[in-house]
Amino acid sequence: VTTDRFVLPAIGVSAMPVTFPAIARDRLDNGLQVWSISQTTVPVASALLVIMRGAVDDPADRPGLAGMTADLVDEAAGPYDAIQLADAFARLGTRLAVDVGSDVTTLGFTAVAHHFRAALQLLGEVVIRPRLAAADLARVRDLRLSRLRQLSSVPGAAADRVFYQTIFGDLPYAHGVLGTTRSLTAATLDEVRAWHARHIQPVDATLVVAGNLTRDEIVRAAGTALGGWRTGPDASTGRHPPEAMTIVPPSTLLVVRPGAPQSELRVGHTAPSRHTSAYYRLLTLNALLGGQFLSRLNTVLRERKGLTYGVHTAFDFRRAAGAFVCETSVQANGTAQAIHDVLVEYESVRADGAIGADELARAKASLTRGYVRHFEIADQLVRACAQLVIYDLDDDTFDRFVASIEAVNATDVVAAARSFIHPDRSTIVVVGDPDECQKPIEALGRSPTVVTPEF
Amino acid sequence: MRVAFTKSTLSNGLDVIVHEDHRVPIVAVNIWYHVGSANEVRGRTGLAHLFEHLMFEGSEHQPRSFFEPLQEAGGSLNGSTSADRTNYWEVVPKDAAARALWMEADRMGWLLPALSDARFATQRDVVLNERRQSYENRPYGLAQFVLLETIFPDDHPYHWPTIGYPDDLRAATADDARAFFARCYHPGNASLCIGGDIDASAALDLAARLFSDIPPGPSVPRVEAPRPIARPRRLVMEDRVELPRLYLAWPSPALFAPADAELDLVADLLANGRTSRLYERLTHESRVASELAASQGSRDLDGVFQIVASAAPGHTLDEIETAIARELRVLARDGPTAGELERGRAQAEASFILRLQTLGGFGGCTDQLNAYNTYRGEPDFFDLDLQRYLDTTGDALRASSGEWLDPDRAVALSVVPVGRRDLALAGSNDVSQT
Repeated sequence: VTTDRFVLPAIGVSAMPVTFPAIARDRLDNGLQVWSISQTTVPVASALLVIMRGAVDDPADRPGLAGMTADLVDEAAGPYDAIQLADAFARLGTRLAVDVGSDVTTLGFTAVAHHFRAALQLLGEVVIRPRLAAADLARVRDLRLSRLRQLSSVPGAAADRVFYQTIFGDLPYAHGVLGTTRSLTAATLDEVRAWHARHIQPVDATLVVAGNLTRDEIVRAAGTALGGWRTGPDASTGRHPPEAMTIVPPSTLLVVRPGAPQSELRVGHTAPSRHTSAYYRLLTLNALLGGQFLSRLNTVLRERKGLTYGVHTAFDFRRAAGAFVCETSVQANGTAQAIHDVLVEYESVRADGAIGADELARAKASLTRGYVRHFEIADQLVRACAQLVIYDLDDDTFDRFVASIEAVNATDVVAAARSFIHPDRSTIVVVGDPDECQKPIEALGRSPTVVTPEF
Repeated sequence: MRVAFTKSTLSNGLDVIVHEDHRVPIVAVNIWYHVGSANEVRGRTGLAHLFEHLMFEGSEHQPRSFFEPLQEAGGSLNGSTSADRTNYWEVVPKDAAARALWMEADRMGWLLPALSDARFATQRDVVLNERRQSYENRPYGLAQFVLLETIFPDDHPYHWPTIGYPDDLRAATADDARAFFARCYHPGNASLCIGGDIDASAALDLAARLFSDIPPGPSVPRVEAPRPIARPRRLVMEDRVELPRLYLAWPSPALFAPADAELDLVADLLANGRTSRLYERLTHESRVASELAASQGSRDLDGVFQIVASAAPGHTLDEIETAIARELRVLARDGPTAGELERGRAQAEASFILRLQTLGGFGGCTDQLNAYNTYRGEPDFFDLDLQRYLDTTGDALRASSGEWLDPDRAVALSVVPVGRRDLALAGSNDVSQT
């Protein structure tokens, strides 16, 4: 093809279709779901056990209990103590990642395929036979208390804590997975064991495996490793909060960080859950407002004014509710300017005719054309499956993504912005130096209240 | 372990490596320029990294922005600067492969017409904010700078941080950036790797068509560096932190030099993860340390080995230092156990296989091919690199520890909460007074 040397090469007329690999579903006698994706291209396998319990299932007076319990399960299990267990995984060239989120707990690993069975066997020990011993709890508790102390001096951690506590109010999403020093100090071994007995159960769990293994190999390995996992008499049915979209009255909250050269900012409010029918409209809206490099916000705050290294917005969609938030860290003397600009941009997407055809097309194209990049490796496939599990989505969710975004039009996006982005009702959190930022924020007509997050 | 590729060199000196992989309909473009903060001069530190930012601001034939044509093609992209090299990458759906290569060619050949003084000034402000966010306002964020300044003498190019000193960044001009581009950004100082769902000969033809008319530039002389300083120091600095933390650091072998792989294994064996010796002693048993890590940070000219440990509440850095020194002496005397060595090899082998799953981005297959090509002149170094880990012996680990990690010759930096210098190692001097 001869084209002008200096003309930008064209791209295909439309986004590449995505065909998610077929998921084979089996169920062990104990109720555990096993999802398999067989791939023959790379000698690697990823496994992820998704247990439908997370920080939302913390008792009201024990924030952090789910997290601490999950931390304890791989301290010692079956015949292994904590170090022997880590050593056994390491000898297989992998390690176990235990992660607690607000809605779910996951345990997973990626290994060279010929070590898959042995690694899954170890994961089974952790799930079925954790010792949950007093000495291990004492150590884990101390480490988590130290972690909380360390986080209290991390600006982003302080900002998140204040922001989510404020916007979620009474919802269980208000507290972080780590909990608080008070709560972890008060928690007892009996509480840990009781939480484990109630919540870590095969009937509410799904094992997802993708890799260079047959369905039969995966199911047999799962049966050997996890078939002995039994649902106990104390099993709970989970405690998921009702879908809620209450927006608390707006406030401006300041966490004092003397001498800080930057202010860490959060600006936002609650948003709908992952189940919202506006999901694709909100993804498109977010992309152009603050979700990608050339979004309105990054263009103003970084590329035009140089006030920050970067700014982004996101809808944090969870099972029962969500959040919409702008996150950035700006130079201290630009704090009020940045808050002002964020609110202006929030308002700007709500006006009639706010979204131009070009801007919309670019935002949609970045989402649809880039979609194929998200399914390259086994770990991405199991994490995609986990989304189906966590949010009860249909198998063709990924295959339909491109068409769903393509169907979004400018009127839809503006309507979604009006329903779900509220500059006048936003909670604003600043972690910074009051000498630099307090008066300018007051000049915006917002009087900051000084708060101290509980860590 | 075989990673299939072809390598050609265009007449202007540009290396072009192509790695076909048709699993997923994406193409990864990755380009390394063999220039980093080590190529800077004092008074203009931070220029290499600031320049990296300017590479995303547009070029003559696409002057609005580097991002726009790639973002709307569904690409993801980024770049990074180290002391030794600057790398850039795009991962795009395969129909945008030509576009990604065209964009890289345009900024390699025709960057300067789009580089205005105003763009320069804005990106300098962005970089000053990056420095605040990533270092100044982050707990312990300035500790690495102190270690580098202590281990490497003033005229060693690893003495200064890649992000640069704020006064130097403020003093830099757009003309400095233009001169830097002319000196270091040209085909003979670059390596291009194209990977993914693309035919190798088509990829090479495309690269030849887009890059061949960019003129070769002056050769970039290898950076000369004086020896690092292996002398014991005890330093203390205050920071907005909760727990006192100890950094122990030593000069160490350069990337791929003798003992580099051994010390990499030693780092894991000593302080990375629950299987490490220091975790077992200091975190599992005595619960003196709440955070632990070690690394053999080997680079083109030299390396730095460091061990980092935070004191658990109620414990002191002196306790930690004593325990670490004891473990180092035991390791230098007895070497690793057979089990430790076996585990280290298993982890090395798996990590080589697992990281090759990903085609593009930092650390992906294309990035690794370019790393080998840039540092070794040879993309096909996977097996030899891995073999360094598989072939080593307990005796070599023992000897490397003894030679490089003498506890009496460490630079020991205590980072303590504001107003709590009493929590530093005994006998430490204030950083600001050295």
